[in-house]
Amino acid sequence: MASVSIDNPMTDAEQIGSKPPRLVPNYWPFVLPALLVVSAVIVFPWLFTLWMSLNSWTLGQPRTFIGFANYVRLVQDMRFWESLWHTTTYTALSVVLPLFFGTLAALVFDAKFPFRGFLRGVFVMPMMATPVAVALVWTMMFHPQLGVLNYLLSLVGIGPQEWIYNQSAVIPSLVIVETWQWTPLVMLIVLGGLAAVPREPYESAEIDGANAWQKFRYLTMPMIAPFLMIAVIIRSIDAIKSFDIIYAMTQGGPGTASETINIYLYNTAFAYYDIGYGSAMAVVFFLIIIALSFVLLMVRQRANWSDMEDR
Amino acid sequence: MASRLIRRKTLDSLGLFFVAFVMVSPVILFFLWMISLSLKYEIDNGAYPPILIPENFAWSNYLKVFEENNFLLYFWNSILVTGTATLLALVIGVPAGYGIARLKAEKSAVIIMIARMTPGLSFLIPLFLVFQWLSLIGTLWPQIIIHLVVTVPIVVWIMIGYFETTPIELEEAASIDGATPWQVFRLVALPIAKPGIVVSFILALIFSWNNFVFGIVLANRETRTLPVAVYNMLSFEQVSWGPLAAAALIVTLPVLLLTMFAQRQIVAGLTAGAVKGG
Amino acid sequence: MATVNIQNIQKNYGAVKVIHGIDIDISDGEFVALVGPSGCGKSTLLRMIAGLEEVSGGEIRIGPREVSHIPARDRDIAMVFQNYALYPHMTVEENMGFALKLKKADVAEIKSKVGRAAAILGLEKLLDRYPKQLSGGQRQRVAMGRAIVRDPAVFLFDEPLSNLDAKLRVQMRGEIKTMHQRIGTTTIYVTHDQVEAMTMADKIVVLHDGHIEQIGAPLDLYDRPANIFVAGFIGSPAMNFIDGRIEEGAFRTSKGLILPLPQTLPSIPGGRDLVYGIRPEHIRASTQGIEGRAILVEGTGSELFVRLDAKGEDIACLFRERLDIGFGDTVFAEIDPTKAHLFDKQTGRRI
Ligand SMILES: Nc1ncnc2c1ncn2[C@@H]1O[C@H](COP(=O)(O)OP(=O)(O)OP(=O)(O)O)[C@@H](O)[C@H]1O
Ligand SMILES: [Mg+2]
Repeated sequence: MASVSIDNPMTDAEQIGSKPPRLVPNYWPFVLPALLVVSAVIVFPWLFTLWMSLNSWTLGQPRTFIGFANYVRLVQDMRFWESLWHTTTYTALSVVLPLFFGTLAALVFDAKFPFRGFLRGVFVMPMMATPVAVALVWTMMFHPQLGVLNYLLSLVGIGPQEWIYNQSAVIPSLVIVETWQWTPLVMLIVLGGLAAVPREPYESAEIDGANAWQKFRYLTMPMIAPFLMIAVIIRSIDAIKSFDIIYAMTQGGPGTASETINIYLYNTAFAYYDIGYGSAMAVVFFLIIIALSFVLLMVRQRANWSDMEDR
Repeated sequence: MASRLIRRKTLDSLGLFFVAFVMVSPVILFFLWMISLSLKYEIDNGAYPPILIPENFAWSNYLKVFEENNFLLYFWNSILVTGTATLLALVIGVPAGYGIARLKAEKSAVIIMIARMTPGLSFLIPLFLVFQWLSLIGTLWPQIIIHLVVTVPIVVWIMIGYFETTPIELEEAASIDGATPWQVFRLVALPIAKPGIVVSFILALIFSWNNFVFGIVLANRETRTLPVAVYNMLSFEQVSWGPLAAAALIVTLPVLLLTMFAQRQIVAGLTAGAVKGG
Repeated sequence: MATVNIQNIQKNYGAVKVIHGIDIDISDGEFVALVGPSGCGKSTLLRMIAGLEEVSGGEIRIGPREVSHIPARDRDIAMVFQNYALYPHMTVEENMGFALKLKKADVAEIKSKVGRAAAILGLEKLLDRYPKQLSGGQRQRVAMGRAIVRDPAVFLFDEPLSNLDAKLRVQMRGEIKTMHQRIGTTTIYVTHDQVEAMTMADKIVVLHDGHIEQIGAPLDLYDRPANIFVAGFIGSPAMNFIDGRIEEGAFRTSKGLILPLPQTLPSIPGGRDLVYGIRPEHIRASTQGIEGRAILVEGTGSELFVRLDAKGEDIACLFRERLDIGFGDTVFAEIDPTKAHLFDKQTGRRI
């Protein structure tokens, strides 16, 4: 299959070259403008970043080609490794929690009850809200003295927390915001999966005397598994790149306690204007994301195969 | 017997309503609190225990946002950047989605998937340099152009999916009826794809409006969009909470209203494509 | 109006040959049906005539003009699709006038032409409706109307009735035929339903695996099928085929069933493997002839369909009279030898 897409343009190009008039409409003019724009704003930056990563260049100073030195520097950069660790914990939590709550919510919203449409509409709102605005309000809510969250905790007898102002609490606190904002997306994806689940197996399971848990475990779970996997993939890609919330709330602080790769990358390129080193970091970051996506896609493929064998 | 069953069902659905309400409550509480913060004077916002509904509403907070922070300009900037980037994306993205679907070159959409995985910052570095070189910094153009990174993939992606499902027979019928390929697109394919265009328009609009990272690098005092403006308010320490929350609400209100009114399209678009730019 | 000449037309998808060099000549005003089993290439052939599909070789002429490399929009043809392909965002009137609008005809002319076509098809009251507000039969009519309005050189139909229920199909069949007799436009009609082809066409082209099996008038194909495939495909219920040989002046099966032979037979070398073909409607119930046991009895009131087991051969019979036959009864069936066909088992050709 893969070869088809590669062959296609070739044969088309040949047809344009040689004369015989074509019956099948030529669709390339439709694609051309987008092709140009995508080349300019997406493909060109990729290539340029790759090239810049081989140079030493701080803005305002002369540029020199240094080969892979930036990459070597990256491997030895403790701050990078630390940010990688922050990214990992942040991403893992930001995948697992929305996945859990989102699936739960999808199961509820799949049933019928009064005001379902309205409640679902409200539930979806966080992911559409402007992240910076959301971050700002959360910052106020996290405030150790004046924040409403510590007040709420005091109502149930828990002492005040420092939230984003504490080195060890900052990442979990940010994850709360991320979870609040992105649980709806998981909910929508899983809800889409549930909508595609046929009714008959449930009826026959009912007749076979399965209880609610068994029905969930042996019918619902396997059928929505592919959608959960899609949610995991999308959530992973988004969480690992998360920028707005972290930057607006902590700028990577306190200290560097919440500095993820993306934040470190930003600081390198646009606070220190170390373009070459920043580009190298961008390339490595990009490769990490691609690798992660690839692994997740493989897992998904495998899951599909074992699915087939079962039947 | 029958009435018992009905009673059971009502109880079940009431129970579900209750569970759903509990799940939605963090959302409701958050936005309530946001509104509350934006309508309280400094004393009320600093009170302990916190006050949800103050005795005097501080409508002046909203006035202050516009008076002291040039917010009208930033609002206008946001409209220009998002509006232009979205319309441009439709103009080039809808035909592209059509072409790709008809060429059966869906595989080429992989590039869009990869773009989706690329961190926004890695677009920023090179384009920032190009904009500097073209001395465009200081105008809105850099932001409009870089927002295309967000909007074009959304539009193309959703439109590919949409045009794939519209029957090709209609277009064949039109070409037999004497339509040129361009007429087939404009008179048949395009009108039929209207719902898809609406979905991609709304989603592109929202994600472009919300975008923050491009603005903090590319915008200066005159060219800020709303998210950047709000962030800048926050970074001035000592700013009072009331106007800050009011500003946050102003930024996100257009999007939230759109979400409310176009809920069906947004849900459709997100479940179909599950895309998000930047 | 125009003639259509198809010469050595071929089509391959990659390495797969779908149409293997076909010749068809269609005269002006003729109604030609393309029939054949599913996947034989009917639609492909029609779409090549329409200009929706590139030809891999050969020539198509509409009138004097070679069109095989001319795009569909310039071929002066109209086509009715299986799913009607009505534009969902246009009213019936706009649907029917679309082609004229593209030709930049003026509004009054479009209106009068659409009005005339609507009158022919009884669509006057539906002109302001959208396709989704129409029944299947009405949509079918609009699709035809769209074709008529064009006043094209050739009408093309691709299984236009297969989405309709049985009764409506019979009705629309009549209407299409009437329309053709009235307008007289050259028509190429694809169907897999041989009854449609038999009832509507002036000429039938039987396709099989991308080859033409036979071209001829409907009754020609019925009376003188060129080979086993056509004999089996045309006619319903299908012709009986019985393997055997000619020995001692009679047709005998391996199990010893003897069948009567037509008198006008060329001499056939004995011992050659043959197939005996007889249509169910050419078998009479009688007191003599082949003896068999009824293994299936189906009566529709007007006719009685019986399958007999005669010495291990399964023979279908269609009786016009009402007979009191039950399952397992012994029945005598008399074959009309003048209606029997013999085919060469190896080549499938009729002898
Ligand atoms: N785009 C294609 N690529 C490859 N093979 C094709 C393509 N289109 C059709 N075919 C093959 O060509 C053959 C003829 O197809 P065609 O649609 O003409 O059949 P048909 O006679 O119209 O059948 P039906 O009665 O089912 O409509 C089929 O075997 C089909 O699989
Ligand atoms: Mg067909």
